[in-house]
Amino acid sequence: MRKDPVYLRILIYVGLTVFTLITLFPIMRVVSISLRPGSQLLSTSLALIPENWTFAAYWELLFERPFLIWLWNSTLIALTVTLTGVALAATAGYAFSRFRFIGRGAGMIGLLTTQMFPATMLLLPLYIIIAYLHLINTFIGLIILYSATALPFCIWQMKGFFDTIPFSLEEAARIDGCTRWSAFYKVILPLAAPALVITALFSFMTAWSEYIVAAQILQDELLYTLPLGLKAFQTNMNTEWGLYAAASVLVSIPVVILFLVLSRWLVSGLTLGSVKG
Amino acid sequence: MSIRKTLFRTGILLLLLTAAGLLSSCSRETDRIRVTLWHQMSVSERDVLAQAIEQFNANQSRIEVVALFRETEELRSGYQAAALAGTGPDLIYGPSDQIGPFSTMGIIRALNPYFSELELREFLDKALTSIGDSLYQIGDRIGNHLTLVYNRELMPVPPRDTDELISMGKELTRDLDGDGRIDQYGLVWNYTEPYFFVPFLTGFGGRLLDEQNRPDLNKPATIKAFQFVSALRDSHKITPIECDYNVADALFKEGRAAMLINGDWSWQSYLEAGIDMAIAPIPRVTLTGKWPAPLVSPRGYSLNVNSDSVHTSAALLFMKYMLSRDIQEAFATQVKVLPSHKQLQADPELMSDPILRNSALQMSYGTPMPVVSELRAVWDAMRPVYQAVLGGYLPPRPAARMIQQDALSKIEEMNLDIEGGSFAIGFRLTLLLLAVFGGLWQRRNIALFLQTLKKNRLAYYMILPAAVVILLTILYPFVYNLVLSFSNMSLHNFRNWEIVGFQNYLKVFSEPIFYTVFGKTILWTVLNLLFHVSLGVMLAVVLHRYLPGKGIYRMLLILPWAIPQYITALTWRGMFNAEYGAINLVLTKYLSLPMINWLHQPAEAFSACVVTNVWLGFPFMMVIALGGLQSIPLSLYEAASVDGASRLRQFFTITLPLLKPVMMPAIVLGTIWTFNNLNVMWLVSNGGEPGDHTHILVSYVYKAAFNLYRYGYAAALSVLIFLILLALGVTMLRRSRATASVYH
Repeated sequence: MRKDPVYLRILIYVGLTVFTLITLFPIMRVVSISLRPGSQLLSTSLALIPENWTFAAYWELLFERPFLIWLWNSTLIALTVTLTGVALAATAGYAFSRFRFIGRGAGMIGLLTTQMFPATMLLLPLYIIIAYLHLINTFIGLIILYSATALPFCIWQMKGFFDTIPFSLEEAARIDGCTRWSAFYKVILPLAAPALVITALFSFMTAWSEYIVAAQILQDELLYTLPLGLKAFQTNMNTEWGLYAAASVLVSIPVVILFLVLSRWLVSGLTLGSVKG
Repeated sequence: MSIRKTLFRTGILLLLLTAAGLLSSCSRETDRIRVTLWHQMSVSERDVLAQAIEQFNANQSRIEVVALFRETEELRSGYQAAALAGTGPDLIYGPSDQIGPFSTMGIIRALNPYFSELELREFLDKALTSIGDSLYQIGDRIGNHLTLVYNRELMPVPPRDTDELISMGKELTRDLDGDGRIDQYGLVWNYTEPYFFVPFLTGFGGRLLDEQNRPDLNKPATIKAFQFVSALRDSHKITPIECDYNVADALFKEGRAAMLINGDWSWQSYLEAGIDMAIAPIPRVTLTGKWPAPLVSPRGYSLNVNSDSVHTSAALLFMKYMLSRDIQEAFATQVKVLPSHKQLQADPELMSDPILRNSALQMSYGTPMPVVSELRAVWDAMRPVYQAVLGGYLPPRPAARMIQQDALSKIEEMNLDIEGGSFAIGFRLTLLLLAVFGGLWQRRNIALFLQTLKKNRLAYYMILPAAVVILLTILYPFVYNLVLSFSNMSLHNFRNWEIVGFQNYLKVFSEPIFYTVFGKTILWTVLNLLFHVSLGVMLAVVLHRYLPGKGIYRMLLILPWAIPQYITALTWRGMFNAEYGAINLVLTKYLSLPMINWLHQPAEAFSACVVTNVWLGFPFMMVIALGGLQSIPLSLYEAASVDGASRLRQFFTITLPLLKPVMMPAIVLGTIWTFNNLNVMWLVSNGGEPGDHTHILVSYVYKAAFNLYRYGYAAALSVLIFLILLALGVTMLRRSRATASVYH
């Protein structure tokens, strides 16, 4: 880590702080909606803490609505998707990075193509297969769909990162008696920690924030995920803004926690110095 | 702890959790007949509903009713999908305007056999929605109508006619603190939305549809109503410059507006906000002497065509219970909606409530909401043109003519019924031939694949699980849409569509709007990606340096990604408001710049959408770049420093090239996602405002499929979007050589 001269560092701090404050402004507005009595989205006042502020929305959310059940459902689904995403993407990404086989190029492009079709039009046929497989109103159906949505990016991301790790590492491991699989698992995978973190975070967010597909598949309020639960506060021209904003604030907390936990590996700068030149 | 061990342990834990979760989700089976209801009741109505259901379930030993709230659009699209798959809830509850399309599609059941004349006579005629001779919906309430809501602290008596409305409005529009900005308005309402324009249209003697359900808008009344609404803002200055639903709502709740035009769904929340409010009919139009006639529609229950006889009879039992006098009375007293039961409407005690009484008075002036599907085409034609009039770039007279023409052509498109024919056989043959030729063309590769199968076994094993999951979910929907794009699936051919040929594609290419929207989509994608990537990389590079406390910045800067988009996008819309938005306040107060009318001018509205999406998207790129920077060995920088390369030079010769392999997937996929990002633009521009100028290709798909039920056309447009993106993606990859490894 190189140190900057003091004047440059002060400049960086000032710039970063200004940028962060601007970035946080809209989020502070959401916080103030959640504290505002009387379900109101906009306000003519710029005060961050509204007059007559109250925690009523949070109270109602936590103790009078099935928010905690939704939180549990979402956590379960998102973590399973994260794990599936990371596991399948790490292996597939490695294969795409290290092996030269027939269908490699087509496969890589094929992965991209899955993201190209406008999602709104896929809903109807998706519903038909999910209904055909009897997976309506189950978490498994949702987990499969979310994994499929997250995987193409995750595989590409892993492949891109593996590409930056020199071949010489595996060769050394093979000489030391590793199989190809164990060279991957024991030597390369730990080095790809930053990419695993990105993949994990992305898979998690895919499952955590999605609601269009979930709205089609889950048809029981107790099976709802958080975004669906939030949607239930939103009626045509009559949204419960206080509850919606409070829930939005609470929903973002697990993401921040996950990021904090994972960022240890994202920025730990694993010693790539082990290979020089 | 190493990342491998952590992964492993979380994995085991999760498997256990999933198993537990799945078991618990299976154990909800009972031997009672389960009747499901999808409804659209607001949060306060749901409490009354829940009580009613609880009571019903307690009294019934064999039936269990389960209710599920679905937001309007979701109920519509979800129910259509479920009905097409042969399933769905037994009962749906919603406004009468969904009956037109549902009955045309043949997905709801006629109610005539299940209700006797005597039973039906208990309800007001307005509550019974029929198409032809078939009764499709029975309403438990009538309403959804707009009225004048006024703040009694500011205005003890409501205006009686529009002249009084204007004079009283002028008196009550005030700059309270003398800073040159108006703090209190006479009248606020969601005037850019056609639904909220109908009262004045009818007050000037106009109407939406004639007796044959044809649009009837090219009339002097339409022109006069346009002029009236514009004048309220421009010459009388009693309404705000920019006022959508949420702005009007906020101003009224803060006591900064004397009058508001809003519907029966909103009254409860004004009482809860502590406003001393009362309602009155929207004032009579002085020029014509007519009362404005807002649209009035019942809300009620319909039966799913797919339910078997057991479920249907159970559902009917519940439906009759919900329509009964007692339950209607509970709704009327607790949430102030007008019941459809004749005895209740005549009940003097219930009607002594001033809100219900005035609501009933306003309703008696109202016009019934047309239930035909043609109405959607009228709204669709009206919205952009009406907004163009309000924006001042289209005079009222040609506007009225244009709405009429657009509405007619949209109705024609919606009702287009293309005959199938011999094309279907040819279509299948072509597909078969294509597959055979494709196989022959690639035969060398296929042979090579079989030969090398064994050698590359590990590679295929490693890819197989991912491939199975992806193919399972993507392949069928994709082929389905491809076939759909050659079909005539639409409102009239919803369940019995057939393949008809290239008509949908010809239609797309023949529309000049396709090319302008395409241009806007490209601009939208390029601008967003440019800012996402440059901001993301810049921040990552800064946060990669030695900087105490950088962890906090890192955490705060991912927040725009972490918080649900729906509310932040709408918050941004609020921040762009001309008079009260934070952005204009900063521009005018602190930077002494002129006010910008962000949301009502095409270019500004487009920039507002871009700003919002940049804000939403840069954290993702920042995280990726942070990860990518870890893979760059420090030794490279050390060597470069020794060689005397400057910081800037190191950034361009080391950082950027080595970031590329990690950033490339995010950039390519980011392009695809941004190209197809429906949400942000839709929310910030409120569905294309002003005047349909802020659209990208996907929002056209959405409009075609969900507003006008032109599924075949929407599928063709989607296939074209797919092909455009395919070409774009392949070019980007070739150029960047992202499939190749840097070490080769």
